[in-house]
Amino acid sequence: MYYMGVDVGSVSTDIALIDKNYKLIEKIYLRTKGNPIKAVQEGFKILKSKYYDSEITAAGTTGSGRMVASAIIGADVAKNEITAHATAALEIDKDVKTIIEIGGQDSKIIIINNGIVTDFAMNTVCAAGTGSFLDRQAERLDIPIEEFGDYAAKAVSTVRIAGRCAVFAESDMIHKQQLGYAQAEIIRGLCDALVRNYINNIGKGKTILPKVLFQGGVAANKGMKTAFENELGFEIFVPENYDMMGAIGAAIIASEKVIKTGKTRFRGFKLADNNIFSRSFDCEGCPNKCEVVKIYENNNIIGYFGDRCTKWSSKTGEITKLA
Amino acid sequence: MKVGIPKGLMYCKYHPFIVTFFSELGAEIIVSEDTNKNILDAGVKYCVDDACLPVKIFHGHIDSIKDKCDILVIPRIMQLWKNEYICPKFCGLPEMVINSFDRLPVTITEPIYATSKKKLYCWAKTSGKFLRKNNHEIKRAFVNALNAQKDHKTGIDDSGYEINITLTGHPYNIYDSFLNMNLINKINKLGMGIKTAEFTEEDILYQEAENLYKRPFWTFVREIYGFALNAAKEKKADGIIYVSSFNCGTDSVIIELIKNSLPDFPFLILKIDEHTGEAGINTRIEAFRDMLERRLFNESHISTLG
Repeated sequence: MYYMGVDVGSVSTDIALIDKNYKLIEKIYLRTKGNPIKAVQEGFKILKSKYYDSEITAAGTTGSGRMVASAIIGADVAKNEITAHATAALEIDKDVKTIIEIGGQDSKIIIINNGIVTDFAMNTVCAAGTGSFLDRQAERLDIPIEEFGDYAAKAVSTVRIAGRCAVFAESDMIHKQQLGYAQAEIIRGLCDALVRNYINNIGKGKTILPKVLFQGGVAANKGMKTAFENELGFEIFVPENYDMMGAIGAAIIASEKVIKTGKTRFRGFKLADNNIFSRSFDCEGCPNKCEVVKIYENNNIIGYFGDRCTKWSSKTGEITKLA
Repeated sequence: MKVGIPKGLMYCKYHPFIVTFFSELGAEIIVSEDTNKNILDAGVKYCVDDACLPVKIFHGHIDSIKDKCDILVIPRIMQLWKNEYICPKFCGLPEMVINSFDRLPVTITEPIYATSKKKLYCWAKTSGKFLRKNNHEIKRAFVNALNAQKDHKTGIDDSGYEINITLTGHPYNIYDSFLNMNLINKINKLGMGIKTAEFTEEDILYQEAENLYKRPFWTFVREIYGFALNAAKEKKADGIIYVSSFNCGTDSVIIELIKNSLPDFPFLILKIDEHTGEAGINTRIEAFRDMLERRLFNESHISTLG
């Protein structure tokens, strides 16, 4: 008996299976690579050989791709990332007061008081200072993203990089690099800049109290953890499954939902072999011209998304009730 | 004579006045459609790049009616209340529009000072002359237009919801459902009732703003700040949702003032721009609802809705 959580983020797709004591049994971390459907299928291919459908008694999705993922896997709940992350964090540590979560295109701060989320903030319309930006810089410098943090740790001193905007930061980095600064120092400077930006922008007006959990894909970057500690002046903690927290939270929430509904809507791992693809079209029904996405499974339409009037999405009945 | 009225910016609040005035003067009124993708695309194409989204959308509305009318009304709203001003983009709106399009019909761009009937009548008198009407006809249209505006009530005051929020921000961001991605509907669907500023007396809005270290220069600052403060104090709502267009100068001031005065009150800022992907805005509203629910009911359960 396992609960499954699927976190479809902009950069990675994470699948977590937890047991009834909410202990992590299985984790799969995949790159979304711009195709959330394929990423979920790839994950299911791995799981299919290890688990029976009947072993999954609840399934939840989260992340910016949660609606599509929910439709294709038949999730019991599609939950926002803030609640999912807070749920998972509180499960491992009741004393957590602040959650710093930096993912592919979002960064968040969640303030918790007595086990309840009392405040949160997210980056606004722009994704400066998030994982996708670090990814892009790693690629530009031809350093595997996994080693990015180690480079920062090697630096003896730091270089100041403009952190407010990803484009500004990139030009600043290139200018410094062309002046001959060492790569390690530039990378450390970048970490410092991102932390400065986070504290001054997302964390503005919020008191960051310990205990702080640092989660999301960027938490893998030791340079970022150190930069946060230097800025805040106390230790911050990266949970063991920092990259799975969203998925774990979604699984926990799904398990609570199934207690109420009595039965999971999970459609099984077979979808790994099915031909799932999407087509989008501009609806001509009114001048809004919504871009509607149709999701097909073996030529059957299993879901519609993206219409404002629900003319299309209501056709998918149960699936879109979550929308 | 066809008079074109763009359905952008303060149209949402003052359309009864402006439409009645010109139709009473015998004009055929051409109002642009509700904001849609074509209007947005045209707005982005013609407007200066630095402007905020509502101003761009206003340009889109102009584009959609400019060839269908003989006279185009571009309201230059200067003042609504004494000693206060409206956003500078409103003062320069006609210039922005006129210089962004190659060919426009005759434009009415008289400044609007709505601080008294007498001052507002100055606008009516000059504008009415465009339709070759005499003072008597203009006066009559003006009185009828004022009455139409008086009888018109806008605003949302939901009841019957367990969780209530105040929806604050500039009216053209709140009431344009295309621009804000159907926000009102989204909030209601998530089980939250909405209160907007229109049901709070102007006197109260003034009173709340008196606590500030100086009298606000902008009308929007006083009204939005006053409402947010009053709603929190009187427990009219459990949280504030502030819808703000990216780049808005007055919002950057109001948001900080509210945060400073209400440090512990739940406050969600939704920044909107040209985005039509709704995942970001959905995540924020859903998480805010979850947070309010748990703050209010302090239950150990997590909402499994949405």
